[in-house]
Amino acid sequence: MKSETGFDPALYARFPTPGERPEGELEELERIWCAPRGWQLLTAVNNNYIGFFYVAAAFLFFLLAGILALVMRVQLALPLQGVLPQDTYNQFFTMHGTVMMFLFAVPMVEAIGVLLLPQMLAARDLPFPRLSAYAFWAYFVGGLCFFTSLFFGLAPDGGWFMYPPYTSITYSPGINADFWLLGIGFIEISAIAGAIEIVVGVLRTRAPGMTLDKMPIYAWAMLVFGVMIIIAFPSVILGTLLLELERAFNWPFFDPTRGGDALLWQHLFWFFGHPEVYIIFLPASGLVSMMVATMTRTPLVGHYLIVLAFLATGFISFGVWAHHMFTTGMPNLSIGFFSAASMAVSVPAGIQVFSWIATFAVGKPRYNVPTLFLLGGIVTFVIGGLTGVMVAMVPFDWQAHDSYFIVAHLHHVLIGGMVFPMFAAFYYWTPMTSSRALSEQLGKWAFWLMFTGMQVTFWPMHLVGLMGMPRRVYTYLPGREWEVINMISTVGAFTLAAGVLAFLIDVARNFRFTTDSDAGNVYGGGTLEWLPTGLYSTRSIPVVKSREPLWDDPKLAEDVEAGRYFLPGSATGLRETIITSPLRAEPQYLQIMPGPSAWPFLGAVFTAGFFILLTVQAYIPSFACGILAVICVLRWLWDTDRLVKEPDVDVGAGIRLPTYVTGPDSHGWWAMMILLIVVGMIFVMGVFSFFYLYGVQPRFWVAPADLWSLAMVLPAYGAASGLAWLARYMLAREATELWTPGVLFLCGAIALATGIGADLWSWIASGLRPDASGQGATVYALLGLEAMLAAIGLLMAGYISARNSRGMIVRPHNNSLDLCVLWVIYTAGQGALTAVLTRAVGG
Amino acid sequence: MRTWAFLLGGLVIWAVHFFTLYIMASVFLTPPLARTLTMLITLACLGAIAFLAFKARRIEIETATDSWVRAVALLGMGVGGVAIVWQALPALLV
Ligand code: HEM
Repeated sequence: MKSETGFDPALYARFPTPGERPEGELEELERIWCAPRGWQLLTAVNNNYIGFFYVAAAFLFFLLAGILALVMRVQLALPLQGVLPQDTYNQFFTMHGTVMMFLFAVPMVEAIGVLLLPQMLAARDLPFPRLSAYAFWAYFVGGLCFFTSLFFGLAPDGGWFMYPPYTSITYSPGINADFWLLGIGFIEISAIAGAIEIVVGVLRTRAPGMTLDKMPIYAWAMLVFGVMIIIAFPSVILGTLLLELERAFNWPFFDPTRGGDALLWQHLFWFFGHPEVYIIFLPASGLVSMMVATMTRTPLVGHYLIVLAFLATGFISFGVWAHHMFTTGMPNLSIGFFSAASMAVSVPAGIQVFSWIATFAVGKPRYNVPTLFLLGGIVTFVIGGLTGVMVAMVPFDWQAHDSYFIVAHLHHVLIGGMVFPMFAAFYYWTPMTSSRALSEQLGKWAFWLMFTGMQVTFWPMHLVGLMGMPRRVYTYLPGREWEVINMISTVGAFTLAAGVLAFLIDVARNFRFTTDSDAGNVYGGGTLEWLPTGLYSTRSIPVVKSREPLWDDPKLAEDVEAGRYFLPGSATGLRETIITSPLRAEPQYLQIMPGPSAWPFLGAVFTAGFFILLTVQAYIPSFACGILAVICVLRWLWDTDRLVKEPDVDVGAGIRLPTYVTGPDSHGWWAMMILLIVVGMIFVMGVFSFFYLYGVQPRFWVAPADLWSLAMVLPAYGAASGLAWLARYMLAREATELWTPGVLFLCGAIALATGIGADLWSWIASGLRPDASGQGATVYALLGLEAMLAAIGLLMAGYISARNSRGMIVRPHNNSLDLCVLWVIYTAGQGALTAVLTRAVGG
Repeated sequence: MRTWAFLLGGLVIWAVHFFTLYIMASVFLTPPLARTLTMLITLACLGAIAFLAFKARRIEIETATDSWVRAVALLGMGVGGVAIVWQALPALLV
């Protein structure tokens, strides 16, 4: 049979293995994966814990933002109410939107991924458990601090998309906007960390035999989700960085009087912001597809069409960002293109909806709480989708823009597309993490209250919008016939809240967190997360032969539990999981996983401290936190990338796998590649900003730095990448002294620093200043980015030397060195491009 | 890599088409030149998809995974093709 890696798929026939497993094997597994207690919970990295904390935290933010919405609805129930003064109302809607989008929706779908994916793929854990822990704590601590700004009147008030010039220092002089820029910019970093984990997890830790076509549809959704985050989020990170630079140092990126352009922000924001909507919707759609199949007791109709729809959404959603800017006066043809793409993007969503309906039609649906939430979600989402197509028509959008029609549209899509599916998922998957399922009776109350509340709140908003009520107004005058409609909306909002309350009561009464004695497969799902599990996930890792293995092989659960498949115990006495190949999921090697550690937690707290203290302008404590954060992260990395004494081990049925690999086969290499794509996207968006400003404001541009200076800059970068590559090459040579690669690497990093130093120096010599014009600002921003990467390269050189001195850079190849070499080579390439491109245009 | 290239080929070409059109419309705005260029780019992209589809049809099929990949890839190319034509229509109509 065809093989991707040289592994012979015929070997799968050895499973399930006959006979009993040796005594003590299971006990050892339990000891290795033992549960943390008390304060140790802070050091937990296992996905069962981190995933659960993550979901709970995201739900907390949903409640908090929901409370803000209720207060806003009280304020709007009657004209000229005095509950919220104007300033506070502005902070409320900004915080509501921001918290819902950035602290609830994206983290929630990511959290559910961290919780579910390892079980669904039958991996012991995702490949970077400490990264998940770091991402969670950074988000939680940072998010809480961000939210408390509301109590001090310091919350941002520029709307969830923070358009300049309103958010520039002239019109928003306080630190409110800085809270948003630094807080959200930083939380995005944690979202990216989670996405790296998820992408590598889905591609590399699937159970053997789980080829692309047998991968659960949810895993597909999460794969596309992760990739979309990696492409989209850098844009908003760059945007927040630029706006912060403008506010702090007066670099005029968005100031048209000095060659900037306020619309640049809108491009950067929406290049992220629209895909963001799909980033929220796709995982929810994956969940729906899984649940629909189980609830109707039939395989999903058109599985491959849904996969295609996910992929198409992933692509097309990047071609629609400017439909948020139809009213800004773009060229006609551009408007036409974006309008066409906006209509096209509804097609894949339509495919998904039709496939769900078909599955309901073909199967025998059970009308329990998850099904109700699924159907309620589909109906609500379709309504939102239809109003979405309406506003994709440019002339209609000119009328509806910035009115309550849009508020109605976006809530239908978000609540139907993500919130209802999330509640369905809570009901459906609770038996996997709780010893009791949630109550059907209370659940039905929760559903009907929420569903009615949702429609009663948001349907009327379409009307009041068409009647002219603008969004983001803290009150309105009587006599416009808006009163009754607004009152109905407010009553609806409280009905919805009552539904959420019913859910909370259900959780309080029935949810009991457990990792090993869960209520089990009450709905009869067919995928691997319903195998019996402990903290180590499944006892043994099954060979997957179909899309719903539990339906097709009724003995699977028993065999897995008895250890008759891969990795029935611990092969090395450490935490470990099997890394498989991306297409056909053939076993490649055994990954040794890091255990619990306080460093990710401490690193996250200090990272959050760095950003928050920076916002309140406490610079010295902030930088101290920054340094501590770096130390914590290095310390956590120090434990990773170690050899065990067995070069290869038996992973079951006599199949032997290596315990250490390097290069493109290793999971570390994949993570580094993805990280480089993230950095690359930040760079690409920076270059876009540079050319964009040149395009709209060329008269502010002056001659660029001397071309001759390239004669110094480019060779320096060339040397950097050459030396780094040489370091790797020399490591594999027998005759090389052990310190040689380390020194070569250090020289490479120094060459990097020389390159960026020379480039900076030539620009300073050219007389252009960053605060002079859009040109100055973007050039120095690009140089600043490069300098940051080079500084990380220097840090890496120190790290490599330290590891070298302890004999941890092993021969002939070593992952730590490989990854650092990749970094330096990339940085050199980006530096060279920066040098050339910034000199390409000028006055 | 080959498999991924086939699987995503149609959509990648759609993306290339879209961003080329965007850049072109931003640089030249809306004169006849832009419309003509749109047509040329569109034809080139459709040609690329046709070539890819021709190649994809000749991949040898050994396992269920292979035929699944081929089905999704061909459909993706179909969707990409239709989307490209759709994307080019504004140049004729606007
Ligand atoms: C739970 C019920 C909810 C109610 C009653 C509600 C109500 C509101 C209200 C009254 C506004 C302000 C309208 C204005 O003044 O312009 C608003 C804005 C918004 N809401 Fe909600 N909302 C709810 C849930 C959600 C959810 C679940 C999400 C996202 C996942 C969300 C995202 C937003 C966004 C993005 C805005 C725009 C904020 C801005 O204008 O900057 N909301 N919502």
